[in-house]
Amino acid sequence: MLSDFGVIFLFIITAIAFIAVALTIARLVRPHRPNVEKLTTYESGEDPLGNANVQFNGRFYVIALIFVLFEVELVFLFPWATVFGQASLIAQTDGLWGWFALAEMAIFVGILALGLVYAWAKGYLDWVRPQPKLPAVKSSVPADLYGKVNKKYAQKTKSV
Amino acid sequence: MLTLLLILIPVLSALAVLITKNNSAKQVAMVGTLFELGLAVAVFISFEPNATQQFGFSYPWIASAGIMFAGGIDGISLLLVMLTAFLTPLIVLSTFRQPYKNASTFYALILFMQAALMGVFTAADAFLFYLFFEAALIPIYFLAAVWGGENRIKVTFKFFVYTIFGSLFMLVALVYLYFQTAGLSATVPHSSAITALYKVGLDAQKQGWIFWAFFVAFAIKMPIFPFHTWQPDTYTESPTPATMLLAGIMLKMGVYGVLRFLLPIAPLGMEAWSTTAIVLSVVGIVYGSIIAIQQRDIKRLVAYSSFAHVGLMAAGVFSQTLNGVQGALIQMIAHGINVVGLFFVIEIIFSRTKSRNIEQLGGITQRTPQLTVYFMILLLGSVALPLTNGFVGEFLLLSGVYEFNKWLGTVAGLTIILGAVYMLRLFQKAMFGGKSSLTEHFADLSLSERAVLLPLAIMVFWIGLYPNSFLKLTEPAVNNLLQMVHY
Amino acid sequence: MLSIILLSIFGIVVLFLGFQKSKNILLPATLLCIAIAFAANFVHWNDAPGLYFKEMLFENRLTMSFSAIVLLSAFLVVALTRGFADDEAAQPAEYYAIILFSLVGAIMMIGFDNLIMLFLGVEILSVSMYVLTGSDKRNLRSNEAALKYFLMGAFATGIMLFGIALLYGATGSFNLTDIRGYVGTNSFSISTLLYVGLLLVLIGMLFKVSAAPFHFWTPDVYDGAPTVFTAFMSTIVKTAGFAAIYRLLSGSFEGIYNFWWFTLAAITILTLVVGNITAVYQQSFKRMMAYSSISHAGYLLLSLTAMTAQTPDAIVFYSLAYSLATVSAFGVLMAVAREKSVQSHENAEDFEAFNGLGKRNPLLAFVLTVSMLSLAGIPLTAGFWGKFFIFGTIVERGNLIWMLIVAILMSAVGIYYYFKVIIATYMKDGETGALRVPPFYRIVLIVSTTLTLLFGLIPKLLS
Repeated sequence: MLSDFGVIFLFIITAIAFIAVALTIARLVRPHRPNVEKLTTYESGEDPLGNANVQFNGRFYVIALIFVLFEVELVFLFPWATVFGQASLIAQTDGLWGWFALAEMAIFVGILALGLVYAWAKGYLDWVRPQPKLPAVKSSVPADLYGKVNKKYAQKTKSV
Repeated sequence: MLTLLLILIPVLSALAVLITKNNSAKQVAMVGTLFELGLAVAVFISFEPNATQQFGFSYPWIASAGIMFAGGIDGISLLLVMLTAFLTPLIVLSTFRQPYKNASTFYALILFMQAALMGVFTAADAFLFYLFFEAALIPIYFLAAVWGGENRIKVTFKFFVYTIFGSLFMLVALVYLYFQTAGLSATVPHSSAITALYKVGLDAQKQGWIFWAFFVAFAIKMPIFPFHTWQPDTYTESPTPATMLLAGIMLKMGVYGVLRFLLPIAPLGMEAWSTTAIVLSVVGIVYGSIIAIQQRDIKRLVAYSSFAHVGLMAAGVFSQTLNGVQGALIQMIAHGINVVGLFFVIEIIFSRTKSRNIEQLGGITQRTPQLTVYFMILLLGSVALPLTNGFVGEFLLLSGVYEFNKWLGTVAGLTIILGAVYMLRLFQKAMFGGKSSLTEHFADLSLSERAVLLPLAIMVFWIGLYPNSFLKLTEPAVNNLLQMVHY
Repeated sequence: MLSIILLSIFGIVVLFLGFQKSKNILLPATLLCIAIAFAANFVHWNDAPGLYFKEMLFENRLTMSFSAIVLLSAFLVVALTRGFADDEAAQPAEYYAIILFSLVGAIMMIGFDNLIMLFLGVEILSVSMYVLTGSDKRNLRSNEAALKYFLMGAFATGIMLFGIALLYGATGSFNLTDIRGYVGTNSFSISTLLYVGLLLVLIGMLFKVSAAPFHFWTPDVYDGAPTVFTAFMSTIVKTAGFAAIYRLLSGSFEGIYNFWWFTLAAITILTLVVGNITAVYQQSFKRMMAYSSISHAGYLLLSLTAMTAQTPDAIVFYSLAYSLATVSAFGVLMAVAREKSVQSHENAEDFEAFNGLGKRNPLLAFVLTVSMLSLAGIPLTAGFWGKFFIFGTIVERGNLIWMLIVAILMSAVGIYYYFKVIIATYMKDGETGALRVPPFYRIVLIVSTTLTLLFGLIPKLLS
């Protein structure tokens, strides 16, 4: 019989084998046309060389935060799944356990979903943000008057 | 029940004064204090001269810890309650000619002060005593700091921090003693009644610590020699009503505290340290007198004289003799009356001449026979001429100190000689001699001023001629106290 | 425990209320939420102490009292946030929601029975505070304060987490009762890991309550944060922090009192001295309050060091007295600074801002005076009894009287700087012209002042 560490060892071997096979097949199948861009280190589309102190678009952070939200959800789902399916607990509670666990997870996911809804409603999910609101100026001078004046003086300068 | 009323009436009248308009505040305050005086007289008349606490009240306060809201009056309390009730209306009356801004707050603070003082003198629970002891500071601080003279902020601040600092030590001592007391019952492990503290028998070394913790608190309050530095400045800078409260009543809180706590709780500590305490007190007497002789500011002069006198009272109390303690009690009353009168006379002079400099005054007697007579009476009381109140007190005090130690008694006796020197010098320079430009148009006393000085003068002679009417009230209580001290 | 669940739900509800056009509903809604949570807090008052959530949280009268203090101060502080919505770019709904969430963290810290819950509570509360500190987005100092607080706080949390891990390593459990059992049964062979772990956890917690020498962040953060959140920090975080330290030490480590009392005593003395002495030199009221909050941490630590049967009562009363006084002090500062900042942006939070307040607005002056007297521990205010009970625990312990002497000296120093405020209020002349206070402010200030005086007269109202 394998010990627990033996199982992990098997997992490691399988993982290495899987990647090795995948990469080897890919190498055999794909066309080979390198250029400079393709040969640089992959860094999410950023230039890996140069000053690290560059400005990011602030929206990256919001997206990253929302990403973390679901990342954590995923982490919690795994231990939950093992408890959810425990036969002894189900037998003890006459099947009620499953419903209980399911409801708990539903609440958990529901709260997270509310977070997503909030972010969505706030417009954080739209990459292209709505146009900034132009300040409305209350003035008795009609806006098109400025246009007319500009036009008039533009003509004048042309004529001179 | 009457005791509780004594505390509550000033509080209620203070609240009443707070809601009245500024220009009628003094009348309301006057009515309140007179009512209080009437009540105190009722207590005085129905008081039985024995050692027990009378007119007591007791309510649970922090019942589970054995801390009660309790008070009562014995002979020692009675005298001071009477003093407070008698002087406060006079102090209020003395302000009638002087307009104070925000008058309703001003008089309310005086009344709050009176309530706190009544509380201090009647509390039967150690923590209640402490509460009032500290609470008395707040109104007097604001009185002095808001309505005082030029340097008031710095000076009153020093006063406040100094006294609070001292009393914090007392708080520690009280808390410590509290945890040594036997409980009232199985569920209440300790009791903070003053009588319960008396029963704590500590060993001599611990009593020494307790002695010093209390001594620092009370010595700052009185003040005794090295702890006095706040006093002359505060007396000088405070508005005169506040000075009267401070000198007339508040410094007696210190003497009262020694009588109430220090003597009975730490008799072994007293045995070890009373000589030191008396030496400090006697040093204060001589030191205060010598400085008083050199003063030019007459208010400051009286402040130092007060410092010297209280030194003698402290020496008498620390001598732990019947004469010393009785003398201190009677002298507390006498000094309260004299010093309030003297400060009032100074205020009268100052309000008319705008000067307190002894060199600029003079020649007042010619136009003011009444002022001269009253001033002379108070002054003679202060220098302890026979037949005046000061004589009785100082005689008993000196005999008490002499009984304790001949040499100390002799040195303390200097107080009478030196007192005569600075007081008569004050009278001579300020009242006699040639007129100065400031004193040319000096008007004699007005009706309200006479109304203040007359009762004071009567009291000077009453106590001087028939001190027994007070001494017999306190004697049982004092004997009881001294029994506890000497086992 | 009901209050934790309610507050979490309310937080989400308030967050979504923010989509409403009118922002005016947010403040009353938040106040209502806190009030409901306050009521829910007392549901189990008459029941026996209980464990909740699989022995994660503990509830008895003590934890309920602490929670009540936290919720009461939160209510008062939130009531002072009026005028929040003035700024167009502000997100009031989010701030209110964060406040509600942070209260969840505070209550978890108060009632934890498992070190994991302690960690979670500390983190929920701290992360909320980082955000709130930086909520004045356009103010450089607010940003600086938030960053500083975040970096220092994260570091402290790390240390604490390390300590928790070591405790687990030594005892094999996160559970307070189990750890207590370990300490009790192995009293002669306690693993060194446990000592180190306890020290590290203590360091992390002392950082949160800003005890010296872990206080260095406090002045800058208090100064930079918007005043209302400074008030929040100095009341709620402190109360919860001390409740947590008390729970940790009394719940698990009473058996090794001889090990930790000296450490705590040294920190206490240092905190008292540093807090009080440094406060004397401050020109800004807010910075002074920051140092004063350090010194008050010292007094609370004093009682923890004594650790007698009276300690919890003393801490509860002191926290309450301190919170009430602090809320009113900051309330007055906000009322004064709001007026002042319209005219000039500088020195709005200095002592001079109070000059002449006695004439401009007697009510504010009175409130400020009472709160300063209470903080200084002068009788007739709640602060006096707070100090009284604290000193009582020390005297009861017996061999720690020397600490009391230091505490008394420092109280005298404290009077000095608190009276600077009173002097400015009544005895210095400043601007003239009456100062108007919104009615809402007035109610909060009157309530907290009345409570301070009431507890000053009848300390047994709280039992």
